Amino acid sequence: MSKAAGKASAVRVIAKSVLVEAVRRKEIYVIILLCCALIGVVMTLDFFGLDGLVKFYREVALKLMGVSTAIAVVLLATRQLPREFEFRTIYPLLARPVGRLTFLIGKGLGVCAAAAFCFGLFMILYVAGILSLGGDLAWGLFVQHIYLQMLLMMLLTSACFLLSLLFNYDAALVMGLLLYSASGILSSTSLFLYDLTTDIGRLLLIALNYLLPQLVLFDLSEKVLHSELWGPVSSATLATLTVYALAYTLVFTGISYRLFRRRPL
Amino acid sequence: MKKMIEVENLTVSYGRGSQRHVAVEGVSFTVGEGECVGFIGANGAGKSTTLKTLMGFTYADSGAARVCGHPAGAPEGRRSIGYLPEVALYYPFMKAKELLELYGTLGGMKKEAFKRRIPEVLALVGLAGHEGELLRTFSKGMQQRLGIAQALITEPELLVLDEVSSGLDPLGRYDLRCILEGLTKAGRTIFFSSHELSEVESLCDRVILIDEGKILREVTREELHTIGRERSLESFFISEVRAGGKGNE
Repeated sequence: MSKAAGKASAVRVIAKSVLVEAVRRKEIYVIILLCCALIGVVMTLDFFGLDGLVKFYREVALKLMGVSTAIAVVLLATRQLPREFEFRTIYPLLARPVGRLTFLIGKGLGVCAAAAFCFGLFMILYVAGILSLGGDLAWGLFVQHIYLQMLLMMLLTSACFLLSLLFNYDAALVMGLLLYSASGILSSTSLFLYDLTTDIGRLLLIALNYLLPQLVLFDLSEKVLHSELWGPVSSATLATLTVYALAYTLVFTGISYRLFRRRPL
Repeated sequence: MKKMIEVENLTVSYGRGSQRHVAVEGVSFTVGEGECVGFIGANGAGKSTTLKTLMGFTYADSGAARVCGHPAGAPEGRRSIGYLPEVALYYPFMKAKELLELYGTLGGMKKEAFKRRIPEVLALVGLAGHEGELLRTFSKGMQQRLGIAQALITEPELLVLDEVSSGLDPLGRYDLRCILEGLTKAGRTIFFSSHELSEVESLCDRVILIDEGKILREVTREELHTIGRERSLESFFISEVRAGGKGNE
């Protein structure tokens, strides 16, 4: 087996082990069930009329499904490395001819695969809900939304890995959730705050703006909701967002690798 | 004789500044091909740190360690090692067969080889028939047996076993001794740490005594038998540790 094929095979089996964990543990199903219960309640509301209900369903379902998948990703990603250290499962793994970067990439891809599994289930439920309500779906925008959400999950995974190497599991989990929730708030308030603050404050805002990934950029749910007004996003925008997500993921993974490369186990 | 492990003047410490603790200091020894060498010492003597350094999990402050002709921790060297960590748990959501497939693939095994090898190692460690069970249902002893199975899955040239009999009942220890004897007869090199002096006496060609991070003494099988005729190994071990390796000089 060539060196590259050996590495690819190692990445694949490590990723598969993470996916098996995600599928066999109950968290994802609990998150999906809770989310479905909430959406089920929404579907029983009848004070909007049918048109309003479809729109309300779209809005609530897309937001809830996005947030739920992000929570599942943060939960799964932040515990990968601390659990490996805590239960010492990392020893027999790294006792093989497996590099630490291969290990990190395998774990990251596994979390992304688990996110795809979770989000995929959500999207099937979403489409079934829309069709059962007699609503129509703007497929172009919808597929773009799924693609951008997957990019977001990849970026979030790499950020959570970095956090779990910098802090303990509990702190990394909280910070991962904060990163996800604060990104939207920061994006919407930074322009407003920029006008109100002085030089140092402005510098800090600019630094934060570049330091933290703008996760809201990957959320097309508003456009999917008002698909009668919006067409699909241009391919140039999609390409830019892909590069943006890849750049942050590479930087976060690079820093994680630097921290993990010579860490005594 | 080809040297499978070469350790030269190895020093390893943890922490920094006033928190710095030297776990291993100036340790040197070799393990030749086909040898079975026991590494014994009290808790905190530096056994696990030495083994972890050989595997590339911790790093030496000074000195050098080579495994199978490669620097400690190099992937080329790790290809030839089967390692059993001290008190490791295995993924509770996996089945025994899946775990061995995972480690086998990472060790470079081909998929076709699993069909033969997995039932073989599971039978060897007394876990035949358990391949389809989730590891969360395994007892501590079964986990340790599985640990030995994962170390053996790729048929490595060198076995590095940390506290090999930990968690095993008397029957499990007897089975383990039989496995290790079989492997020694088959020409495998074994380097293991243990608290079990009887295990060491019956299996090893040589024993290395370590205490407070320093090697106290190396004892050959012949010397061990001579000592065993005069007094118990336990009293020998205690007197050596108390005398700082000069107990018999």
